[in-house]
Amino acid sequence: MRVSQGDAVGGEGKRLRAGVDIGGTFTDLIVYDDSTGSFVVGKTLTTPDDPSRAIESGLAETLVAAKAPMAALGQIIHGTTLVTNALIERKGAPTALLATEGFRDSLEIGREHRYDLYDLQLEMPRPLAPRYLRFGVPGRTLADGSTLPGHDLDEDYVERLARELAAAGIEAVAIAFLNSFANPELERRAREAVQRAAPELRVSISSDVVPEIREYERTSTTVANVYVQARVEQYLRDLEERLARAGFGGALLLLISSGALATVETASRVPVRLLESGPAGGALAAAAFGAAAGYDDLLSFDMGGTTAKFAVIDRGEPLLAHGFEVDRRYRFKKGSGLPINLPVIEMIEIGAGGGSIARIDALGLLKVGPDSAGAEPGPVCYGRGGTQPTVTDADLVLGYLDPAFFLGGAMSLDVAGARDAIGRDVADPLGLSIEEAAWGIHQIVNETMAGAARVHTLERGGDPGRLPVFAFGGAGPVHGYRITAALGSPRLIVPSGAGVMSAIGFLAAAVAFDFTRSFPGRLDTLDWARVNALFAEMEEEGTVLLASAGLHGEDVTHRRAAEMRYVGQGHEVRVPLPPGPLGAERVPTLREAFETEYLRLYGRLGPPVAVEAITWRIVSSGPRPELHLSTAPEASGDAASARKGTRRAYMPEQGGMRDVPVYDRYRLGPGASFAGPAIVEERESTSVIGPGATVSVDGEGNLVVDVAKAAVAG
Amino acid sequence: MTAETTDVAPVAKTLDPVTLEVLWNRLLSVANEQQAALMRTAFSTVVRESQDLACGVFDTRAQMMAQSLTGTPGHINPMATGVRHLLAAYPPETLGPGDVLITNDPWMTSGQLNDFTVVTPVFREGRIVGYFGNLCHAADIGGQVFSGEAHEIYEEGLRVPVTKLFDRGEPNHELLKIIRANVRLPDETVGDLYAQASCNDVGGRALLTMMDEFGLESVDPLSDEIIARSERALREAIRTLPDGVYQHEVWSDGFEEPIKIAVTLTVRDDEIDIDFEGSSPQSGRGINVVLNYTHGYASFALKAAVAPDVPHNEGAFRPVHVTAPLGSILNCVDPAAVAARHLVGHFVPSAIFGALAQALPDKLLAGGADPIWLSVWRGEHPENDEPFMTAIFQVGGTGARAAKDGLSTTGFPSGVAGLPAEVIEHLSALVQAKRELRTDSGGAGATRGGLGQATEFWYRGDGPWSVSAMIDRTRFAAQGFAGGGPGGIGEFATDGQPLKPKTVISLQPGQTVLLAPPGGGGYGDPFTRPVDSVLADVVAGYVSMEGAARDYGVVVQYLGTPEQLVRLPERYGVDEEETERLRARERL
Repeated sequence: MRVSQGDAVGGEGKRLRAGVDIGGTFTDLIVYDDSTGSFVVGKTLTTPDDPSRAIESGLAETLVAAKAPMAALGQIIHGTTLVTNALIERKGAPTALLATEGFRDSLEIGREHRYDLYDLQLEMPRPLAPRYLRFGVPGRTLADGSTLPGHDLDEDYVERLARELAAAGIEAVAIAFLNSFANPELERRAREAVQRAAPELRVSISSDVVPEIREYERTSTTVANVYVQARVEQYLRDLEERLARAGFGGALLLLISSGALATVETASRVPVRLLESGPAGGALAAAAFGAAAGYDDLLSFDMGGTTAKFAVIDRGEPLLAHGFEVDRRYRFKKGSGLPINLPVIEMIEIGAGGGSIARIDALGLLKVGPDSAGAEPGPVCYGRGGTQPTVTDADLVLGYLDPAFFLGGAMSLDVAGARDAIGRDVADPLGLSIEEAAWGIHQIVNETMAGAARVHTLERGGDPGRLPVFAFGGAGPVHGYRITAALGSPRLIVPSGAGVMSAIGFLAAAVAFDFTRSFPGRLDTLDWARVNALFAEMEEEGTVLLASAGLHGEDVTHRRAAEMRYVGQGHEVRVPLPPGPLGAERVPTLREAFETEYLRLYGRLGPPVAVEAITWRIVSSGPRPELHLSTAPEASGDAASARKGTRRAYMPEQGGMRDVPVYDRYRLGPGASFAGPAIVEERESTSVIGPGATVSVDGEGNLVVDVAKAAVAG
Repeated sequence: MTAETTDVAPVAKTLDPVTLEVLWNRLLSVANEQQAALMRTAFSTVVRESQDLACGVFDTRAQMMAQSLTGTPGHINPMATGVRHLLAAYPPETLGPGDVLITNDPWMTSGQLNDFTVVTPVFREGRIVGYFGNLCHAADIGGQVFSGEAHEIYEEGLRVPVTKLFDRGEPNHELLKIIRANVRLPDETVGDLYAQASCNDVGGRALLTMMDEFGLESVDPLSDEIIARSERALREAIRTLPDGVYQHEVWSDGFEEPIKIAVTLTVRDDEIDIDFEGSSPQSGRGINVVLNYTHGYASFALKAAVAPDVPHNEGAFRPVHVTAPLGSILNCVDPAAVAARHLVGHFVPSAIFGALAQALPDKLLAGGADPIWLSVWRGEHPENDEPFMTAIFQVGGTGARAAKDGLSTTGFPSGVAGLPAEVIEHLSALVQAKRELRTDSGGAGATRGGLGQATEFWYRGDGPWSVSAMIDRTRFAAQGFAGGGPGGIGEFATDGQPLKPKTVISLQPGQTVLLAPPGGGGYGDPFTRPVDSVLADVVAGYVSMEGAARDYGVVVQYLGTPEQLVRLPERYGVDEEETERLRARERL
């Protein structure tokens, strides 16, 4: 399916779309023509003081390369780390919390869990609203949504607080009352009271942001939302103005953490949804390219300078999680960050990247990461003052990277420096040769990543030995082959443009938004009229929201799901639901749908007890565009003509350093095929293929690698 | 390696440091897979929300090679010894594929009937290559409602001797029938046993994959290496302690009479003896601790103190020798009642830290809330008269650290999590009226103790309801270190009247119950705490103005108007002259 741009973006002649991913160091761009598949990528330094400046200049340069005017752009799709940074750097607005009387400390008490058993120096997350700005408000909703008699909301008190907060220079107010997921009325009335008394305050209510059970996580998410709201509004307003001045007349859309696109208006209302939107692009790209290449189930593997990320692509879509943490403040440990309970593309992030440092620990073992040399000073071989050996240094010593062709030759690498550092810090203490030590570093970082990927995949019901691996990011293609072997997976796929994959992935996203209602109950006793009413309400909201993005009628679909479990369990299984009204007569079908899903995940059914549904969800979305990147004009199906020469590289199956053929990625077109060992080079990355593997280039320009049965696990 | 491999890979055949690290990481991830499966399929909130569990992988000699990431020390180490007892009853040669062993015998495992240990042998080509074990807290085990009231273990519920949960893949239906007939929550209790069996299977599959992938015939050489290196690292850490004898004692409320926990640590080169001679004799009520559980918390405390980063396995037990007089509160004799044993056992790390404080200044926690607070509530849903039974975990504050304040409302030594008010209200007819930090409950110090919390509950029903509160530190405050002050003690009361902990209390509609877990002790002289930190604590309300003057010698004034609700930091000031005078005077 090719999406017509007409409805969503309007206007004649706006044939191009752009993806823009602002990262910490670089802003990546792609300009793409849906009708021909032709594309141009760009990379420019991020301008942290005003990130929209780099967008404008980067777009201008990329459009020049694409020989198109700004007016030809119909859509700009944008992902940003702005919200993540605002939370980590605590650069949001001074924010107050209004909570149910007696519960202003829920935000600080948290789950009372010690996330590391043995470490006596733990630190807990710091709430965004300090205790002197947290207030208990009289008014109490019970678990069934009713108001406790005699405990109605004290609106006068809320108004008084609002006036005082505004007078004290507070700009943002979060309202999170107990059980508001069951009935938002008191929160809505409190918001009105605040707005009556002090209309200049920004207000978020928890039943709007995340209407789900568990007060700590819901409150934390709501506070984060309003904390960053002013900054996001300002940024998006500036960006729109800047783009308009530059001649852009199309639609600006934002990628949100669930991997969907939202309008500027929606993103401004729930800015916390912009968290993690950059990495989401990579998973979207994996899903889109995988589907185009005929794989609906994949493991997306993105390895950069400091971290690696895996995401499971299930039946053509990245899996979603409902909660994550930002600002992990103690050794990056899970449990030390602020919980954000919103749908996010589920990813596991590991402190393993090209800059990860290798060292010998107190037990005399070789450890790699999570400490990283980062981009500055970077690996020893960058020659910028780094002294500790890193994964990139090992990859260079192993011959996987060409010292003269790093970033297409833009930077030369210091092999001698890398060898010295590995010799001194790793090889000598362990009594290994420098190559063996480098291979050890390579192997351990791979095993760290593969181990995390294995647990992550299994926890989500996937079989890591079956999923093809889709590798990208600067270091992903270097390590992808050994990771694939370590997972026991038969196949590796390396897309072209691996260095700007997130921006490319933005182009594959659909305009969509998700809605949630918590209304728990056993299937055999549920009030189905209420469930149907909740679905109708959510679909109405979805229809209105998508209409604001120009999507109407049959372009809009509403997908329903329920989170279900055996009564007594605490973790739910998401079960897709059919359209149409639900009722008692459909309970057997629903139970069967649940058990099918449960069996798929855990291999065996639970005991014979009742099943309950906890949360009801819909995703309202517009059509999902397909991506077909055209290959370079110089590419051909003849692999021999793409061969650049040979290089000494370490292949353990062949006993060590061997002459390995090197191919030019840009000259490998659809139909080309060759055998490993091989090295395939492009500007932003290098693919390393082991002996016995077979490589072919598919119709989309992907390298498709069948892993040798006897490949040494990395 | 498969047969097609012609060239030998340089590192694959021997346990060099690189291969060892790769395999070791894999084992840890195998144990974490096991725990993930357990939590996702478990029924009781105790397992799935509060993580009162342990998972581990064992070699063919029943030595623990790796444990999963979280869990509680009271479960991990007793599980490790429990596996040996299970295999003594069913020797390996009698086991076949599909067999799963189970027991909840307190003396073989973690010291209370509510904890089931489930162990599964892993077979490869007809041979046992290892075992997976896990231990978690069951929703119910029958007997009296969970409390400290029993005089003998027979009153505390059903005891399951070492037996088979599954026999060659078939559930032991006779056993499951007996369990169902004896417990109040049969679906949850049996549902968890299924989850315990499946998670061992998940671990077993992952172990076999690993052995295939790396061509391992046995994991025992790997195990030897892991254990030897961990043991060596722990010995190195112990060697940094000055040789000598270190003593300390702490007090628990007890059931009727206070209970003394006395510890003597003897450090000799790279070994350490931990002896509890001098502790109270065993009690006539259900607060007795089996030696296994004592051992678990003692070895945990030592490792957390000297070598928190060394991986935990069999090697961590070897340099540490734990003893307690037979018949004492920490080594009770069958058929002593044991249900509320954590209320005494959780003091063991505090006692050990108190003793080690002299040898390890700056590294340890001052005294904290210690035992986790566990309350079990019963009543009926007014809508349909269905009974409910809900267990709520709560924690107080930890002791201060030399360079950091203690953690408010965070468990230590147990790592379990609390239960959200909304989950409580969804599962029961309870209404939680309050959950706030307790001002002034953190012990004063150069670094302050963590705060406890004040929580209140009432009942929506119209008939009787009850609570059994297994709690402690309502009489003896957590002690500070190095001149730090004590934490606030815990409170359990209804309408201003104190209630008796560790017993089942009958309640009437209209009553409100207060449960207020204690605060942690402070570290160092509170008069040296920076004035700005004291000021910030007053602004936040962690410390009252009276407390600041009394405990810290800092006179803080509120400069705004009394009716103001919003009190920003700039509305407070320090009376520097008066502060100087107070701090100087106290020093004389």
